[in-house]
Amino acid sequence: MNRTDELIKEIQEVKKSYPKTKAALLPVLYLAQREFGWLRPEALEFVSEALDIPKATVKGVATFYAMYKHKLMGRHLIQLCTNVSCMIFGAERLVDFLKNKYGLEVGGTTADGRFSLVIMECIGACGTAPAMLVNDDFYENLTEKYIEEILEKYK
Amino acid sequence: MITVTINGKGIKLEKPATVLEAARIAGIKIPTLCYHEGLELYGGCRLCMVEVEKMPKLQTACTLYVTDGMVVRTESEQITKARRGVLEFLLINHPLDCPYCDKAGECELQDLVMKYGPTTGRFEEGKRKHPESFDDPIIVRNMERCVVCTRCVRMCDGVQGASAIAVTNRGSHSFIEPFSSGEYNCEYCGNCLAVCPVGAIMSRLHRHAYRAWQVEQEVNTVCSYCGVGCSMVLQVREDTIKRVIPKIGLGVNKGLLCARGRFGYEYVGSHERLSSPLVKKNGKLEPATWDEALTTVANRLKEIKERFGGEAIAGVASPRCTNEDNYVFQKLFRAGLGSNNIDSSARLGYAGAQKYLEGILGQGATANIISGIVNSEGVFIIGGDPTHINPILGIQVRAAFRKGVRVITVGYTPGLERFRTAGLLPYPYTEGMLLSGLLEELLKIKSLPGGNKAFEAKINEFKRLSAGDIEKVCNITKEELSQAAKALSDISSVSMVIGRDIIQCTGASTNLFLLAAIAYILDARVYLLSERPNEQGLIDMGCLPDTLPGGRPLEIGSFRKRDEDVWDCQIPSKEGMTLMEIIESANTGSIKAIYVMGENPVYNLPDTNFVKNALERLGFLVVHDIFMTETAAMADVVLPSLSWAEKDGTYTNLERRIQRLRKAINRQGMEDWRILSEVGKKIGLKMPYNSAEDVMTEISMVSPLHAGLTYEDIERGLDQWPYKGEPLRQGLGVGDRGPVKIQMPGHKGRLYLSIEKPLFHSGTLSRRAQALNSIYPEPVVKINPETAKKFGLKDGDIVAVTSSKGNLILPVRTDKLIGESIVLVTNTFKGKGAMSLLSYKLDPITKIPCIDAVEVTIEKVVNI
Ligand code: SF4
Ligand code: SF4
Ligand code: SF4
Ligand code: FES
Ligand code: FES
Repeated sequence: MNRTDELIKEIQEVKKSYPKTKAALLPVLYLAQREFGWLRPEALEFVSEALDIPKATVKGVATFYAMYKHKLMGRHLIQLCTNVSCMIFGAERLVDFLKNKYGLEVGGTTADGRFSLVIMECIGACGTAPAMLVNDDFYENLTEKYIEEILEKYK
Repeated sequence: MITVTINGKGIKLEKPATVLEAARIAGIKIPTLCYHEGLELYGGCRLCMVEVEKMPKLQTACTLYVTDGMVVRTESEQITKARRGVLEFLLINHPLDCPYCDKAGECELQDLVMKYGPTTGRFEEGKRKHPESFDDPIIVRNMERCVVCTRCVRMCDGVQGASAIAVTNRGSHSFIEPFSSGEYNCEYCGNCLAVCPVGAIMSRLHRHAYRAWQVEQEVNTVCSYCGVGCSMVLQVREDTIKRVIPKIGLGVNKGLLCARGRFGYEYVGSHERLSSPLVKKNGKLEPATWDEALTTVANRLKEIKERFGGEAIAGVASPRCTNEDNYVFQKLFRAGLGSNNIDSSARLGYAGAQKYLEGILGQGATANIISGIVNSEGVFIIGGDPTHINPILGIQVRAAFRKGVRVITVGYTPGLERFRTAGLLPYPYTEGMLLSGLLEELLKIKSLPGGNKAFEAKINEFKRLSAGDIEKVCNITKEELSQAAKALSDISSVSMVIGRDIIQCTGASTNLFLLAAIAYILDARVYLLSERPNEQGLIDMGCLPDTLPGGRPLEIGSFRKRDEDVWDCQIPSKEGMTLMEIIESANTGSIKAIYVMGENPVYNLPDTNFVKNALERLGFLVVHDIFMTETAAMADVVLPSLSWAEKDGTYTNLERRIQRLRKAINRQGMEDWRILSEVGKKIGLKMPYNSAEDVMTEISMVSPLHAGLTYEDIERGLDQWPYKGEPLRQGLGVGDRGPVKIQMPGHKGRLYLSIEKPLFHSGTLSRRAQALNSIYPEPVVKINPETAKKFGLKDGDIVAVTSSKGNLILPVRTDKLIGESIVLVTNTFKGKGAMSLLSYKLDPITKIPCIDAVEVTIEKVVNI
């Protein structure tokens, strides 16, 4: 079984959990993103075919959500919060740090394709600000040094 | 009864209504932006806000349903302030480039801001940037102007059913886009731009060509492309058509149009239009005066009639011409030339089928209103894709499906892929057998109703195929077949939509017999797809070899007598020849002259070379047309006629609704009926007409079907069959048919040619419409990706498609909805069309030229 067939099988599974195919769109977009790296046009067309939902509609839904990757991104995604609490605790400085140390711009990707940075508006960790997510892992009470340590884990 | 008070005015309502509707009934205007009559309610723009007593906040009038005793105010200080606020928000992102925007003058936002809007905004951040997109050849997108009312999306999704555009991104960054972000690649109906309240989606055809207030004339007319007969308004300035728009609530299309109707009008102004009569001198067509040309025609026809008799002359009428044109055409033949050899390209499908079905099911059997489709419980479609051939009818099928109506399709119907309960794709040329099996299955469930005994005897005697046979022959499983039969038989109203492909294949009359039997058993409403605007009209006008105006059989003396009295002549009693018989007789020499009005037989008939050779043998060929067609180029005399936008008259659509065509612009040239009258007068006929209306007056005297019908009646809405007349008789025909031929073309590895009916083209006219050419610029050959793989082909490869009649060199396009043994080619572009590769055999009963299984090969061409 090749990857595409496997993906289709997975999609069929996901579909079963919902009364209507349209409802399966969001989870299936995640699957496609995993397979295609980001939601590039081919990924959206694939989803459109698999779920029999018009491709413009699929695109409309996909672009509504910031949580999907809408462009090519690094291997690891850093989601750093700069909302009020985090800002007060120095998140802006962390942004500068990422830029100076790794060459990582907001919304950008490092030259080696290792990291991408997205700024978040509060990830619900105000009490332990500043905070960030790296892929699905959560980190709080960030400092420059701590970030350096953390990022070492992601190659 | 619901009573509501709006602005102190009491309104009584019979049916539930929204506050907005109730206000409109009472003549109270509430501003709206996202609301549109033809679309699903949305409640997004918040401009229609009103005060409702006992409700704490302002309410949107477009979505709030009235309840008994409700008290509403539509204007107050609070409301005005709220509306101003909404508009201020909308203008945050709007470029305010009205002086440059084509919409100015008919822009809903502009009007609202003038009335309620703030004079300045308080927003200081930058505006959203979105450069105007000219990526698409006919639709220009300016998303800086978009107010995200979603009217276009609701139109494309919910009404058109194309779902080609969507709201992309979110919040104040939202805008509307097709999937590609560039070209639309959609159905190009343009219905989205028609509902856009601002200048965000617009047609490029009239870009910067005029202002809304500079329209000098708006002319109500009907479309010139297909048999649906959509109502449309031509907006005219400086004697040119600037834009074609539909009107909500008007006609069968109720505010919608398709690509051909909306964007296909440019052929009228084409520089290729013929302007002067041409007469062949020394083997070359040379410009001549009208008098010279008309005299030549009259003299030559007279000569031939005197030497060889009227039977040596034949006429090809036109489903593009008006009823008036066609009426005068057959009169010239019957009364003036003494010939019943009158037929038209409608013979290729519509006319043959219509007469046949009517014979069995009764006159008017195909005269069903299109909106009936959505009100039936099941739709059975065979022989063509209605969304391509008759797009507005196709939309009705989609609407029906959405409503929960069962839709069963047979064959290639790409436009209904998401709109059907079941799609049967039998092997090519086995559709007729499928019908036989379906009839058998239906008869297991339903009994014959007992109205037409003779026909029932024929049905009983018909040797039907079993589901098992069908499985073997058609590649349709027993379950698929019995499910289809079941789905159609346990409901009380079925619509049958029949296209040309099932009518013009081998066994045409057997297929029609089976279709009639199925319609009879299911008591179905029959809709015949019609590729030209007036196929039904020319039948009703008597442009058939065996039928007088009003559908009266020629053979009955008393009917002839009635016409003879009005025309003051003798009508020959001998039935004339049908279309292909005319061509065949030209080939053998018994037909000496052919008179062609607005038709292009060389291009539109099968076996081009044969048709050409036959026409070359003629002693005299005269052609009326607006362009120098392949046929006109061979003529002895060519007469420039007027296009649909330049003349008055009527068309009869496939519902048999008679509708008015109105002259919008001027041009040198003559209406076809006028040319024919001039010729008629020169050979001594009485042609007492000064206008199309005069012709209608005579039609209403001659045709019992149109008895007493006037233009005024039509305008008043007496436009649906049987008008003011009476149907001729009940259908008691028994349904003669040709021999049944079970053919089992070997399918494995073989390829058969089939004709594509593209949504964007019709042929001679559409290929001179720039806009349509820009979205479908060149012919292609469509095949299934599997077929492509087998032959080592990919999209864009140039191949030769070869039949025993010749070949075509075309680029490949793959489409997975096409059957694997089918090669699909259109017959609409300049040069050789698909018809040139076809051969035909006449059906013995209907005389339809049946296109037999035409085997072709495809081969990659290297370096042409
Ligand atoms: S032109 Fe028709 S099909 Fe295309 S986007 Fe507009 S509404 Fe949809
Ligand atoms: S493009 Fe026009 S119709 Fe569509 S959402 Fe924007 S303003 Fe409304
Ligand atoms: S559906 Fe037919 S009549 Fe209507 S706009 Fe299209 S081509 Fe014209
Ligand atoms: S503000 Fe950063 S987590 Fe809430
Ligand atoms: S018109 Fe009522 S909310 Fe837009």
